Amino acid sequence: MELIRTEELEKIYHDNGVPVHALYGVSITIRKGEFTVIAGPSGSGKTTLLNLIGALDAPSAGSVMFEGENVASKSKTELASLRLHRMGFIFQAYNLIPVLTARENIEFTMMLLQISERERRRRTLALMEELGIAELADKRPNEMSGGQQQRVAVARAIVTNPSLVLADEPTANLDSTTGGALLDLMERLNREKDITFVFSSHDQQVIQRGRRLILLRDGRVERDSHVAG
Amino acid sequence: MMLLRLAWRNIWRNRRRSLIIITSIVVGVLAMSFVEGLSRGFLKQMFDNQLGAHTSHLQIHRRGFNDNRIVQNFMDEGARVSSMLEQNANVQYFSKRVTAYGIISSASNSSGVYIVGIDPKREAKITTIDESIAHGQHLSGQRHEVVISKRLAETLGAGLGDRVVAMASSLDGKVGAEVFRVVGLYQSPSSAFDRLFIYIPAENAQEMLRVGGRIAEIAVVARTLDSVAAIKADLESKLDESYEILSYQDLLPSLLAQLEMTEELMWIFYLIVGLAMIFGIINTMLMSVFERIREFGVLKAIGMKNGILFCMVLIEAFLLGLVGTLIGFGGGTLINLHLSATGLNFAAFSEGLASYGAGAVIYPVVDYAGVATGMVVILSICVIAAIYPALRAVRLQPVNAIRYV
Repeated sequence: MELIRTEELEKIYHDNGVPVHALYGVSITIRKGEFTVIAGPSGSGKTTLLNLIGALDAPSAGSVMFEGENVASKSKTELASLRLHRMGFIFQAYNLIPVLTARENIEFTMMLLQISERERRRRTLALMEELGIAELADKRPNEMSGGQQQRVAVARAIVTNPSLVLADEPTANLDSTTGGALLDLMERLNREKDITFVFSSHDQQVIQRGRRLILLRDGRVERDSHVAG
Repeated sequence: MMLLRLAWRNIWRNRRRSLIIITSIVVGVLAMSFVEGLSRGFLKQMFDNQLGAHTSHLQIHRRGFNDNRIVQNFMDEGARVSSMLEQNANVQYFSKRVTAYGIISSASNSSGVYIVGIDPKREAKITTIDESIAHGQHLSGQRHEVVISKRLAETLGAGLGDRVVAMASSLDGKVGAEVFRVVGLYQSPSSAFDRLFIYIPAENAQEMLRVGGRIAEIAVVARTLDSVAAIKADLESKLDESYEILSYQDLLPSLLAQLEMTEELMWIFYLIVGLAMIFGIINTMLMSVFERIREFGVLKAIGMKNGILFCMVLIEAFLLGLVGTLIGFGGGTLINLHLSATGLNFAAFSEGLASYGAGAVIYPVVDYAGVATGMVVILSICVIAAIYPALRAVRLQPVNAIRYV
């Protein structure tokens, strides 16, 4: 089933009035259940592409279709609702809310969805058990390691059962062991829960784990290949 | 609840900054609360002194008497009105008076006065003059006694036991005069009152003024202030137009206008203090928003709607204001409650206060409705102050905000 389709996607930024062409005519399709890595050197447009797929930014030209709907036709409120209901985000810097505990951070998106407190608590604790982070429930981010924070961020991203999880350089701030463990977790979630993951990364460890690789260079797709097995 | 919890924890991220702004709110609110309590206490004292000294809750006259207090405008002996008042459950006490502007003279001096002829036993129930006797005694009911103020006694060079002559225009157009013996000296909180009012037995006043059994007015004290209107309405329905029934609102329009004006001035005072606070709150909230640009970007990225983000910032300002107002008004109320029992001594300003009819010791009044109003005003100001910072938060583009350093 087709989840994301971009057609001739372009993005131009203006840096101090100077136009910067971040993406040129990017056309890709991502299907449900894929474990895709968007790779490339710095400045290749990985994060820009991820932001456009995630409806965090609007393209200068071209279109982004999400589950058959054109994202560009939606208002800001509708886009926020789309992100809340159907997407999850994992950031390089974890970006947990510092004044909330791990449990509260995970519950937060469900709170935005107006899920009852009892149901929120139930789902959160079950997920934390499953991800092996139950002992972090009452800890605040400053009391957790980077790996623990990122696991909590993964839990936050998937607790609402999104169609798509977008991860921007999720292992960049982690050591290789911790990063590897995190990738193991996300692979397991992809396999067991059929959650579609799209990463943007230049980390070889991430690239090697991806079952599909979209290589960007200077804003263009240089290679788009599936990894066998 | 989680939003409230998040907002509460957010305001304590920078504890020092929040404490500074809370302290500024506390100081402003405490000052407002104290000044309001003191103002209300001062005005209440003026009001109570006026009512208690002479005005009472209600006066009944022959129509036209209030505009022209001459003996020709006296009413009948008031038997019918007295009967109505006795049957009215809202009436606590009433007293008949015979009044006239006149002159009092001693051996050495004279002074213009307002002569009030009273039944001392009934009058003692409706005014506070008997409690204000500083030397001697109140009228005993014997004839040719007079009670004057200490201030007037000094002017006249008279003291207890001395004889004075009171005179006024009588009904037959001549000057009525009688000799009286000073039996009591009173001192009221109002210097203006003291200069003017003297008390003699009602029968002596009627003889002096040659009015027979007629009286000037009947003064009424109601059981409660709220029942005054009901008493007035009842009397108006039973008496014809030859009578005028005047409540204290009719008799003291300028004092009541002053009370109303003070209420309005308190609003302006709140506004001024609030405006002084508003810029501090705007600054605090702006700094708080700028420190969390990346966090707001993440919140918007994961799907938080602008409306919720906007509300969250407003709730934070509201909570800051709530802490400040609760402590400020709580402290101010406790101070006023304590001082309402002990009083605040303004002896240095006693002359000036006496000219307004207030005593040297002012007892602040706690008005809980005023406290609630003040809280609403300050909390509203806090929320209004947060609108601009909240709009800044809402206008953030998530894709840029997430990367903000």
